Amino acid sequence: MISQVLGLVTLVYLTAAGIFLAATLWSSRRLEAWGRWALLAGLAAHLGAFFGRWLESYRHASQFTPPQDLGATLSLVIHQVPLSNFFESLVFFSFSVSFLALVSFRRHLKGALAVVVALLACLILAYASLAVDSSIRPLMPALKSNWLLIHVLTCFIGYAAFALAFGAALLYLWQTRRSKANPIAPPPELERLMYRAVALGFLFLSVGILTGAVWADSAWGRYWSWDPKETWSLITWFIYAGLLHARLVKGWQGRRIAWLAILGFAAVLFTYFGVSFLLPGLHSYL
Amino acid sequence: MSRNSPPRSLPGRLWDFLTSIRLTVTLLLILAVVATLGTVIPQNEPVARYLVSFGPRWGPVLLRLGLHRIYDGPWLLMPVALLSLNLLACVIRGLPEAVRRVARPFTLEAALQLPLRGQFTLPARVNPETAVLPALRQELGRLKVSNHPGRQVYYWESGRFRPLGPYLIHLSLFLILLGALVGKFLGVEGRLAILTGETATEFTLAKGKGSVPLGFTLRLDDFRVEYYGGTATPREFRSDLTFMQDGQEVGRAACRVNHPVTFGGLTFYQSSYGSQLAGPVRLKVCKGQECHTLTVGQRRGENLPDGQGQVMLVRVDANFQGLGPAALLAYREASGGDQPQLFWIPARHPELARRLQTPFYQAGPHLFTVEELPLKFYSVFQVRRDPGVWWVYAGFLLCLPGFVLAFLRPSQRLAVVLEQSPKGHWQGRLLGASPRAREVFQERVDRLLMHLKKGTAV
Ligand code: HEM
Repeated sequence: MISQVLGLVTLVYLTAAGIFLAATLWSSRRLEAWGRWALLAGLAAHLGAFFGRWLESYRHASQFTPPQDLGATLSLVIHQVPLSNFFESLVFFSFSVSFLALVSFRRHLKGALAVVVALLACLILAYASLAVDSSIRPLMPALKSNWLLIHVLTCFIGYAAFALAFGAALLYLWQTRRSKANPIAPPPELERLMYRAVALGFLFLSVGILTGAVWADSAWGRYWSWDPKETWSLITWFIYAGLLHARLVKGWQGRRIAWLAILGFAAVLFTYFGVSFLLPGLHSYL
Repeated sequence: MSRNSPPRSLPGRLWDFLTSIRLTVTLLLILAVVATLGTVIPQNEPVARYLVSFGPRWGPVLLRLGLHRIYDGPWLLMPVALLSLNLLACVIRGLPEAVRRVARPFTLEAALQLPLRGQFTLPARVNPETAVLPALRQELGRLKVSNHPGRQVYYWESGRFRPLGPYLIHLSLFLILLGALVGKFLGVEGRLAILTGETATEFTLAKGKGSVPLGFTLRLDDFRVEYYGGTATPREFRSDLTFMQDGQEVGRAACRVNHPVTFGGLTFYQSSYGSQLAGPVRLKVCKGQECHTLTVGQRRGENLPDGQGQVMLVRVDANFQGLGPAALLAYREASGGDQPQLFWIPARHPELARRLQTPFYQAGPHLFTVEELPLKFYSVFQVRRDPGVWWVYAGFLLCLPGFVLAFLRPSQRLAVVLEQSPKGHWQGRLLGASPRAREVFQERVDRLLMHLKKGTAV
């Protein structure tokens, strides 16, 4: 049931991308608005699937340990938030991309940027549905913490914001290379959206790293153990801190900032995928 | 520093160096490279591993440079220490100015000095208040007003505390780094393994630096692993601990993953566990109808009672593949080849011995089952005392308002000045500034001007 809904959501995102593309080709404001509505509809169904999975995961866990009282029920609900394996994280990543795009870009979500964003959300979800094991497994003890919810939530919202910045940076580089005539979206706006997304991502990644440290402190007895995932998230954080200072203090703008945003997103991808598949460590479950 | 400023004294140059953003970016870059190296080169492995994986030429170089303990050595400590100084210097340099800016109230004089952003006119017969106020209120909310005959000024400020944001962040980072250094040099960290029923009075320091007394006696009364029904996935580890002083019981606690226990200034974290044999294993070995009992110890070859083979107990596991306790046995039949058979004997599932293609399969001719497998758990704790952790947490708390101020509260100042001309109509000017959020501000200015000019048409 949930996988069907997710399949549908993938198609809706694809449709939204198509509408946005048509809107760009015909410079139609009305189509643009339709595209945003389509994205919103996909988002709503996506949210439904998320909660559906949460419920399913809760049911699964309560078979093993039927909660005795309200407190136990509540903590089981929190622990079973569907963010505890690779599949669930991808589903939420895709959700955050389209959610943040709508919230943070709002009226600016149009043109090539909107196409890229909708395609990104669609591809991530398609990858999750087609290539990743989606079975629900019981949680290992270290994952049973209230920090899981806030830690993973903030990290992935951060990643999603960086993904948006990456999309904007790519378009920016592409458009400033071509002749100035007829830019699809005016580059200063793209540059500003890119910065906004980076600032948002930095905020969330910082909170993500902090909550991760608090959690590690209670689970492993060290708030920082230089586990590869931790280390790489710190490297990512350094890169974006460098970007923010370069722009705010040194006054860098335009293409140089765009390249930094791309470098930063490469670090995000490595933190997310590379570490899990290439480097062994404590975080190997996600 | 601009090029043509006079040459500075040495302390002055040092100060410039310590407060430069170039130093910051360089250090961040160095830290990124060091951290990357640490994830590429395996850390804290036995020395021999490096000689094997990196060869006789590069292995010693790597060890000499300390790249096998990169996170404990000068490679990381030096840039971190310098970054702390850098941060502190930046705070010292910039904070007073930021505080001064925040403390200065937004007065009418200050409002009137803002740069001009746009102009509009209102006809003489309209009431200027009803013409502009709704639009201003809708866009900005609460306004300050200065009313004089012939001149009205509405002014507004948001994000007044924005300048403090970055400094809160920098200060909090400094606290975090300081806390980490305090923890590193004044804290202790180690491990403690105890068998159920036994006591401990000292624990082992990390990285083989000897052991330290606990200052009390710790007894592990019980250790339990609970599994998700029928699987090998553990659901919970739990150690029941008793703390004793001078032979007297002074406290009890249950230590679980994610639920550490603190006693006598030390915190115990459930880290791992294991089981070991509490005595010899008794097996039943049958060939056809003829059965014997056989006692085996770990890693000692044993002849079968009928003399037609040899067995050795390789390993035991308290919950092999979710099937409960099991023993791994190596078995060689006297007339068999050189290759011994290796199989697990699950104590509670003797029927699996005949199942092909499983780790339980016994090809025969002897058939082994477990009669007694006495296991005893031991529990491993991470033990820590970290006086720096409160600094770190204080830093975490301090940086949150810092982030909110820096990113979510852009500082903006706006003023609308209405002046009546001798002919009676109103001349309007929109003034404003937002040094760190120009684009968002420009959007707001455009929106406001549109509304204000619409007001003109009334
Ligand atoms: C890991 C280290 C650092 C982090 C994470 C960090 C973080 C930040 C953040 C988030 C901002 C606000 C940026 C924005 O509004 O877009 C900022 C601004 C700033 N940072 Fe840092 N910072 C770090 C180190 C430093 C150091 C060492 C210096 C000193 C050279 C420095 C100097 C500044 C300055 C001058 C500003 C602008 C302040 C203003 O807007 O008035 N930063 N920093």
